[in-house]
Amino acid sequence: MRISTQHLFNKNMLISTLLASLLAGISLPSAAFDFEGALKDAVKKQIDPNADTPSTPESQNVTTPAPDATAAESTTKTEPTINWKNPSKEEEIALGREITGNLLGAAPLVKDEALQKYVNSVGRWVASQSDRADLPWHFGVIDSEDLNAFAAPGGYVMITKGLYRKFTNEAQLAGVLGHEIGHVVKKHQLKVLQKQQLLNLGAGFLSDKLAKDNKLANKAIGSGAEISARSLDKSAEYEADRLGVSFATRAGYEPFGLAEVLQTLGQTSKNDGSVALLFKTHPHPDERLAALGDAVGSKLDNIKNGKTLENRFYKLKN
Amino acid sequence: MTKLKYMLITASLSVALHAGLSIAAETGSALKNDNLRYEPYADAKVTGSFSRGESLQILKKQGAWLQVKTKKNTGWVRLLSVKRGTTSTGNQTAGVLAAASGRAGTGQVVSTTGIRGLSEQELKAAKFNETEVKALESYTSTTNQGKQFATAGGLKTVAFSNLKAPLKTPQETPGGESK
Repeated sequence: MRISTQHLFNKNMLISTLLASLLAGISLPSAAFDFEGALKDAVKKQIDPNADTPSTPESQNVTTPAPDATAAESTTKTEPTINWKNPSKEEEIALGREITGNLLGAAPLVKDEALQKYVNSVGRWVASQSDRADLPWHFGVIDSEDLNAFAAPGGYVMITKGLYRKFTNEAQLAGVLGHEIGHVVKKHQLKVLQKQQLLNLGAGFLSDKLAKDNKLANKAIGSGAEISARSLDKSAEYEADRLGVSFATRAGYEPFGLAEVLQTLGQTSKNDGSVALLFKTHPHPDERLAALGDAVGSKLDNIKNGKTLENRFYKLKN
Repeated sequence: MTKLKYMLITASLSVALHAGLSIAAETGSALKNDNLRYEPYADAKVTGSFSRGESLQILKKQGAWLQVKTKKNTGWVRLLSVKRGTTSTGNQTAGVLAAASGRAGTGQVVSTTGIRGLSEQELKAAKFNETEVKALESYTSTTNQGKQFATAGGLKTVAFSNLKAPLKTPQETPGGESK
């Protein structure tokens, strides 16, 4: 079962989405009445936008978010044990590693150590300007001619070789890595996973209570690297664009590197298969440029001497 | 007769050359309604305006500004107000290339090369690869290595606050596919 993440982002619609699914008889067992209240409360508690604030000591050791959820434990055995209510940094990293490992199963790293080290140097420096400089950031170029980039919780950032090929200088690479770093900093993917997990817990609770049909026991991260193919809310993409520009600017780069890449992407025909997934999961580059322009206004007018560093930009061997 | 022919050829050649040159000047289009200014500064005199979707000629870039020519005026505008390249829906060259590489039409990668793709289905089917994760981790830079790398490139940190969402949310394109 897949419920569109756009819907999930709208808390008010969450319950109605669920109910709609139930009515449609997609795959949820039919006992909405039972869990509606519990789930609603749990949703409120767990995916509060302010959930980043430190929790009380009691709640930190709670591994199951609600009494109801104990019944769902059997459905989540296969994944790393994670406190979904308030994942620790370590749990977040473990989750990101799992997702990245799956993504690398779809497209392995480009076998070019110098390239990988170069991208890690640039990425690490940009990430050091972010609000989560303490994460052990990992960057990789994966062997795919698609144009795309991926972030996973805990500081994992992958970009495709096809996208790297479009860059002409280091500032552009820094801007794109900055966008992905922005997703990690704001825990955009993690929040989607938390919501998904919550749904699984709710569904698992019902299943166990009602009968054997436990097919909803999807891992929160879905199968394989499915999470990497999911869309985030549009506003999350715009936020990541703003942060990408901010981090790259603070790092001393020419601030418009990301915008230049968006310009290039905007000129790619949407019929070109290499951008199919990117265009499906992101607002059109033109919209992103316009949104970025609205946010930037005159704020970059006084940023001079930003570097592009095309001279040391690492060129792909093939 | 031969002379006339020669002249004709020369004439058409020079026409072709001129056409080529004017095409080479970069075209663009307005991403939003904005003002044109006399100089590349926020407080420079407004010399005109343009509306979203209008085509422009890009003459020059200077910092965060582009000098552009509209049908009526010439002036400076912030570069994030302008989309570079043409607005046409289909990039024919890209289409041809896509067809040639088996990526035509459907938006699905029809891979004929044996390279694994990153379509939704392929991502779903992916299996965890521990060896690759270990390799990834082996390339990790420390904070200090990152700093040294920055210094080597002459990068200096700049004080700059995270950009906030503008008060007015960006307009959504109805349909979104009209580009």
